Amino acid sequence: MTQFSDDRGAELKELFFESAQELLQALNDEALKLEKHPGDVETVRTIRRIVHTLKGDAATCGFRELSNSAHELEDALALEKASSQATLAEVALAAADTFNAMVAAYRGKAKPPSSEPLRKLIRKLTETSDTPNKRSKKKVSKDSKIAAQTAWTEYEKLAAEGALGQGKRVYHVTTLIDPHCAMPIAARQLLLNALSSMGEIIATRPEPGARDAAKQVELLVASDKSADQVTVKCRIPSVISQVSVEALQSKAPKGKKAVPAPLSTEKDESSLPAAEPEAQVVSSSEDAAPATKAFSTTVPENILRVDAERIDSVLNLVGELIIGKSMLQQAFLEFTRRFPKEAMRARFSDAMAFQTRVLSDLQRSVMKIRMVPVEQLFRRFPRMVRDVAKQCGKEVELVLSGQDTDLDKSLLDAIAEPLTHLVRNAVSHGIENPDERGRQGKPAHGTVRLTAYHHGNQVVVEVSDDGRGIDAQKVKAKALEKGLVTPEEAGRLNEADVLELVLRPGFSTADEITEIAGRGVGLDVVQTVLNRLKGSVDIETRPGQGTTFRLKLPLTLAIIKALLFRVEQRLYAVPLNGVAEIARAHESDLHQVDGYEVLQLRDQVLPLVRLGRPPEERADSTPGKIFVLVIALGERKLGMIVEALEGEEELVIKALDDQTVATDLVSGASILGDGRVVLIVNLAAIIDRHGRSRSRGTGKVSSGLLLQHADRTAITSNPETGVQP
Amino acid sequence: MEPFAPVRRSKDGQPIRYLVVDDSVFARKNLARIIETFGGQLAGEAGDGMTAITEYERTTPDIVLMDITMPQMEGIEAAEKIVKQHPEARIVMVSSVGYQENIVAALQRGARHFVQKPVKPEVLYEVIKYVLGEDGTVAQAAGAGA
Repeated sequence: MTQFSDDRGAELKELFFESAQELLQALNDEALKLEKHPGDVETVRTIRRIVHTLKGDAATCGFRELSNSAHELEDALALEKASSQATLAEVALAAADTFNAMVAAYRGKAKPPSSEPLRKLIRKLTETSDTPNKRSKKKVSKDSKIAAQTAWTEYEKLAAEGALGQGKRVYHVTTLIDPHCAMPIAARQLLLNALSSMGEIIATRPEPGARDAAKQVELLVASDKSADQVTVKCRIPSVISQVSVEALQSKAPKGKKAVPAPLSTEKDESSLPAAEPEAQVVSSSEDAAPATKAFSTTVPENILRVDAERIDSVLNLVGELIIGKSMLQQAFLEFTRRFPKEAMRARFSDAMAFQTRVLSDLQRSVMKIRMVPVEQLFRRFPRMVRDVAKQCGKEVELVLSGQDTDLDKSLLDAIAEPLTHLVRNAVSHGIENPDERGRQGKPAHGTVRLTAYHHGNQVVVEVSDDGRGIDAQKVKAKALEKGLVTPEEAGRLNEADVLELVLRPGFSTADEITEIAGRGVGLDVVQTVLNRLKGSVDIETRPGQGTTFRLKLPLTLAIIKALLFRVEQRLYAVPLNGVAEIARAHESDLHQVDGYEVLQLRDQVLPLVRLGRPPEERADSTPGKIFVLVIALGERKLGMIVEALEGEEELVIKALDDQTVATDLVSGASILGDGRVVLIVNLAAIIDRHGRSRSRGTGKVSSGLLLQHADRTAITSNPETGVQP
Repeated sequence: MEPFAPVRRSKDGQPIRYLVVDDSVFARKNLARIIETFGGQLAGEAGDGMTAITEYERTTPDIVLMDITMPQMEGIEAAEKIVKQHPEARIVMVSSVGYQENIVAALQRGARHFVQKPVKPEVLYEVIKYVLGEDGTVAQAAGAGA
């Protein structure tokens, strides 16, 4: 195998460790969620997806043990319908622990702990029968032995020597947290509490405050009590299942293995041959990087690692300030109206102009803190593509462009997973084998392009390949076979709709399952994540020529310039960047084509959406002048009919949760300076809705679009509560 | 389940007195029942942290079983306040797995132990014996385990 240069590989692994940490955290969270709602299909699916990603990533880095056990778990999760759901959460938690220990071991360049116990659990999941027997058997094996594994640092050894020098006894305490105790961190704390009454705790592994769920805890304790007393103290019911206390001697040999040599006489365990693999949690050895400590502290001095939450809270405050600014402006306008001759006005206005300028600088600076080049994300792909290609026996070149495009860090993190799946898919499914390519007169090596660029107020990230393209017929057939669509539905779908099926959960056209991709989990994550980010996915494919997945993301999630308008007396806003122009028109200028309203704008015919009801359906209407907002999103243009324009304002977007608004047509809400609540219209969703109603051939759908939902949410009429009745 | 050998106070042989704090009446009743099987006595009950403190002052129990999430004042705060006034207080936190952080916090603030919800009597029994240490004696020479 032609390896990448060492530091390149190291960088990749570092990336893996970081993302694995996140995945494991997510796995833990989801498992806990599952525990609360056993059998929740969505959660099981999420868990499966996490495990799937972990599997793929681990395989890419060559961490076989981890990838294999993740693979097994993923398989088991697919069969979950057949097996008992109740134990699933437990298994998932156990898996998170085991994976965590493995990752820690890989990071410390140590041998990973055995995954056998976890596999047993997984197998039990799939078998469902004979549970009690196995359980008790397992318990017996757990009760066997534990062995000290930690090698203390020089500093800790020194402290131990010091305590010995003062005539104290120093013990190396090794304990195993009870397998039934689901709160290892709390267990550790309790152990610390118990031991601190015995003497001084010199060191602990995992370190105090560490968040990992290691089952084995080791401590170095200086005390004047006997080993027996210490042992008794450590035997905390329901929390600690095993204790081993070794007294340490002075005159430590300077060996590399461990600290002062054990004085074996006071060992609590009867005999300690080879360590039971189940109990193994590999800790850092001295020469390796600290394994249990999740983050390295050696970061260049002028770079601060700041918790993203803190920046978020600053940004939030900036948002509040902007609302405050518009409150001031409102008040000032009122003031001007009442006292037009007041001399103080000029001073107020100067001060406010100054404040506005500083505020927008502040906003920009804070946003800039959050921006990172996509390079950070892109750089993990070359190695991945290479490995995946190798595995599939393909020749693939990865071309990156636009790496210096800046993107909000939270967005970047969010698209990491979907992008990984897309790239893997492009290589394993998109690109053909060299022979096949040869037959079609293409160069033997395929090309995958990863591109990022700004477009309007969006960032676009594209993954494209020059492979075989997606066969719409095959997709349709597969979707029918998997029961994702009914035959009637399938008949009605146009090509774009068919392609979107690829993003549904449970869809996969690959005939064989590979280690890397193709089990039907994966692409649905793309859709899920993009929906969450208020972005969109476009698929473009040409048979024989390749496929492009285009992820479109909003530049930022926090503050936008918006145009305020009214529809049926209600106030709405659209992001200003989405508005290409504003046209005045009269109701009589509108024409009907194919059941659609259109407007002739100069030499173009513009399809229209009516957000409110048509004038003939409304009692209060005064048919006449209207405004048409020409919105442009990518290639598509659309006119939105609105009744009145209110002006332009900077809005701080407050996210609405799904309970509050039951439509995707509204992407958020904001508060104006005078306290009014305004809903922010989701342009992508409106265009999408319009396109779909067109494909169904029912033109009427595009009128009254917003209103139905607005009525339902009743937000604008009742801004205080903002919840649906 | 077989009854547990009753645990008594070492100094006077009296039953151990418990204060049970939980905002769920059901949870309190359940714990009270379990305590009975240990030969213990329910000294008082509280449905929130505030009441827990006043009840502690009033009853001076041997052991407090304290829930984490409660209205008015959370278990951690109540535990902290009680321990500050009465360092000898033996408080056992009772909580579900999801509140591990809070349990860690409570332990750092002087709680003596924790048990997971749903509470298993045999686990709680061992925990009680451990927390009492030399101040508690098992009536007969039975199950003197860890």
